[in-house]
Amino acid sequence: MASITIDGKTLKVKNGTTILKAAEQIGIEIPTLCFLEEINEIGFCRICIVEVEDEQDLVSACNTEVASGMVIHTNSEKVKESRKATLDLLASKHRFDCWRCPKDGMCEFYDMLKEHDIVFEEFGPGIGRTDEQIVGTGISQDLTKCILCKRCVAVCQEVVTANVLKFRDEDPLNPVVSPTPGLTFDESGCIFCGQCVKACPTGTLFETNHVEDLENVLLEDNYVIAQIAEEARIGLREEFGVDIQDESFDDVFDQALKMIGFEEVVATGVAEDLHVSALGEELYQHLQAKNDGPLLSSWCSGFVRYSELYYSDYLDQLSKLRSPHILQGSLLKHREHKGKDNVKVISIMPCTSKKYEITREELKVNDEQVVDYVLTVREIAKMIKRRGFDMENMKPSVKQDSPYALARKTSYDLLENVLAYVANKMNVPFEKPKYKVIHGERLVETEGVIEEATIKFGKEKFHVLRVSGGQAVKQMYQLLKDGKKKYAFADVSHCANGCMNGGGQAIRHNVEVHDVILARDEAMRRMHENKETTTNEYANNLLDEFFTEKRELLETSYSVKEFTKE
Amino acid sequence: MATESLNVKELYEKWILDAKTKLTEEDLVPRVKEYLIGQHPEICGKCAPCRDGVIKLEQLLDQYIEGTATIKTLKEIERLTYNLRASRCSVGLDIGKNMEVILENDYHVLYKPVKKY
Ligand code: SF4
Ligand code: SF4
Ligand code: SF4
Ligand code: SF4
Ligand code: FES
Repeated sequence: MASITIDGKTLKVKNGTTILKAAEQIGIEIPTLCFLEEINEIGFCRICIVEVEDEQDLVSACNTEVASGMVIHTNSEKVKESRKATLDLLASKHRFDCWRCPKDGMCEFYDMLKEHDIVFEEFGPGIGRTDEQIVGTGISQDLTKCILCKRCVAVCQEVVTANVLKFRDEDPLNPVVSPTPGLTFDESGCIFCGQCVKACPTGTLFETNHVEDLENVLLEDNYVIAQIAEEARIGLREEFGVDIQDESFDDVFDQALKMIGFEEVVATGVAEDLHVSALGEELYQHLQAKNDGPLLSSWCSGFVRYSELYYSDYLDQLSKLRSPHILQGSLLKHREHKGKDNVKVISIMPCTSKKYEITREELKVNDEQVVDYVLTVREIAKMIKRRGFDMENMKPSVKQDSPYALARKTSYDLLENVLAYVANKMNVPFEKPKYKVIHGERLVETEGVIEEATIKFGKEKFHVLRVSGGQAVKQMYQLLKDGKKKYAFADVSHCANGCMNGGGQAIRHNVEVHDVILARDEAMRRMHENKETTTNEYANNLLDEFFTEKRELLETSYSVKEFTKE
Repeated sequence: MATESLNVKELYEKWILDAKTKLTEEDLVPRVKEYLIGQHPEICGKCAPCRDGVIKLEQLLDQYIEGTATIKTLKEIERLTYNLRASRCSVGLDIGKNMEVILENDYHVLYKPVKKY
C-alpha cells in the first residue's frame, strides 16, 4: 500500500495504482482524452497531467503509478494553465464544423474545450493537419479533425485485431493516423466493424454517411420500408434519453419514422427466426454429413469479412446463410411487394459493417442490392432530431397488421435456438447447454470471450463454441488450427459483447463501457422476459418456401478478399 | 542528425546560456529560433506540448523578427514554454527548460520591442 495525498486528502492505495485511478477512489475525476482503460494507456495527449510536489515536471495521471508520500494536485493553477495550452494547441490544428460533424453532440474534444473555456488568442481554430479524406464502404475518415490520440489504432489492433489504422510518424512534426497511405479502408483490410469510430473522441472517424441518400430516397416517389434490429431499438432509447427499458418509446419512434416518410416500419423478428431455423437445418445437415470442422455462423458481416481477409482457409466452414436483414430485405422486395419497382428497404442497425455488407456482389438479386441503405442508430437519431418533433407528446404509431411488425418469437440466445432446432429435428430432448469460459472474460474487450459447451443429442456428444470479440475470434481460429478438440458449431460475433456493443450503436462516453453493456443486456432480457418463446410458424413456412423454390435468396458464397498488406 | 543537433546544443550553450554571452540583442531571437529548429530531428511527434508547441514558438519568434510582436506574443511564448513541462519525454522537457532559462536571462530582450511605454 502507498499513502498519498490528492488535493489535500490523504488516502492509501495499492502499489501499482495509477494516479488517475487513485483520484477516482476519492471521487476526483481527472480529465482524460487519449486514455482508454486497458486499451490505450500511453500518455499521448497530456490532458490528464497533474502536479506532484517535488517533481519538476507535470506528470500524466493516466500512466504514472503512485509512490508512497506523493502529494498530488489535480487542479492547481499550473495544471489548469497547461491543460488549456495543450487544448489550444490541439484546437489550432483542428477544423471545426461542429454543427454538421458526425460526432455532433457526442464529441469528447468539444466537451473538453467547453469545460476548459478555451479562448483562441494567438492561434485561432485551425484548418486541420491535412485535408485528406479517406473513404470506405462502411467507415470513413476526415483527417482535418484528428487530434492524434491513437485510440483508434489501439482498438483496431488490440480489440479488433485487424491492424488497419496506424500512427504514422515518418515526419514526426506532422504525424498522421490512417490506413495505408493512399488507400481506401476497403483496400487496407478493414472489416468495417466501426469499433474505431466509437473510440474516436472526435468526428475524424465516422460511419460512411447514408443519411443524405436516404433523404433523397424519401423525397422521391418510393415505397420506403424501415427494418429495425432489436439492438438498435435499445440504442435509440439511449439516443433519445428515455429509460433504456421503456418499450413504449419504440412505437413513438416508429411514428416519427412514418412522419419523415417511411411507409412501413418493421422489426427484424421474422428474419431472425427464419435465420435461426435455417441455421438449425444447416447444422443438422452438417452433423448428418459428419463434416470435419465446425460450422461457423455467418450473420456477423464483420466476422465474415475478417475471415475472407485473414483466414480464407476456413471459408468452407462458414454457414452459407445470408444474414437476417439481408434475408428479410429480399423477402420484402421480392415476395411481399413483388412486382413493385419502387420499393426501398432501409435497415436500422447497431452495426457499421452492414453498410458494407449490403454492397456485396454475392448478395445482389438481379444485380440489385436487396437492402438499399443501412443507417446506424446515431444516423437515424440525428435525422429525426433534425426535424424537431415533439416526441414527448407524439402519439405512438399503430402497429401494422403484418408478421413483419412483430419481434422474434425465438429467444435472444441464437446458439440455444439453433441447438434446440437440431434436437427437435433429431427427436431427442433438448437440454440447455452449460457454458464454460475457455478464453478471456466477458466485458473485457481486449480479450473477448470464448465459451464452450458440450451438448448431448441422444447418445451423441458435440462441442460448441460461442465467440465474441476480435481477440477471441483470432483465438478460435487458433483452436481450430491446433485441432485438439473437434467442434460442431461456433456462433461468432466480431464485436466484443456482440451487436449490443456494435460500431453503429449509440455512443455513451460518460458511462463506463461495462455499465453500458450490462444495462443494454438487461433491457434486452426485459424485452424478451414476458414473451413466450415459441417457434415462428410464419418464418417456418417461409423456410419451406425458401428451401423448395427460393434457395438462391437464402444462401450466399464467400471468396478470398484481397487487400494491400503493409 | 545527431551530430548536427549536438552542434546546435553547443552553440546554444555558448551563445545563449552563457551569462557573459556576446550575443547581441538582435541576435537572440534568430538564434533561439535556430536552436528550436535544430531540435526538430529529436522530436518524436507523440505529444502536443512539444510537437505542436515548438512549431508555435517558432512562429511567435517570427513575429519578433517581422516586427509584429506584441505583448501578447510574449505572453504566449511564456505560456507555451511553461507548457513544455507537460511533455511526454525529455526532448520536450529539455527544450522547455532551455526556453525557461532564456526567459530568465533575457526577458528584457524580448520585452523591449513589445512594451507600451
Ligand atoms: S470533432 Fe468535435 S470539435 Fe471537431 S468539428 Fe466535430 S464536434 Fe466539433
Ligand atoms: S472499422 Fe474495425 S477494422 Fe476497420 S479500421 Fe476501424 S477498428 Fe479497424
Ligand atoms: S482518428 Fe480519432 S481516435 Fe484516431 S487518433 Fe485521430 S482523433 Fe484519435
Ligand atoms: S457483432 Fe454485430 S455489430 Fe459487430 S460487426 Fe458483427 S454484426 Fe456488426
Ligand atoms: S489521458 Fe493521460 S496523457 Fe492522454
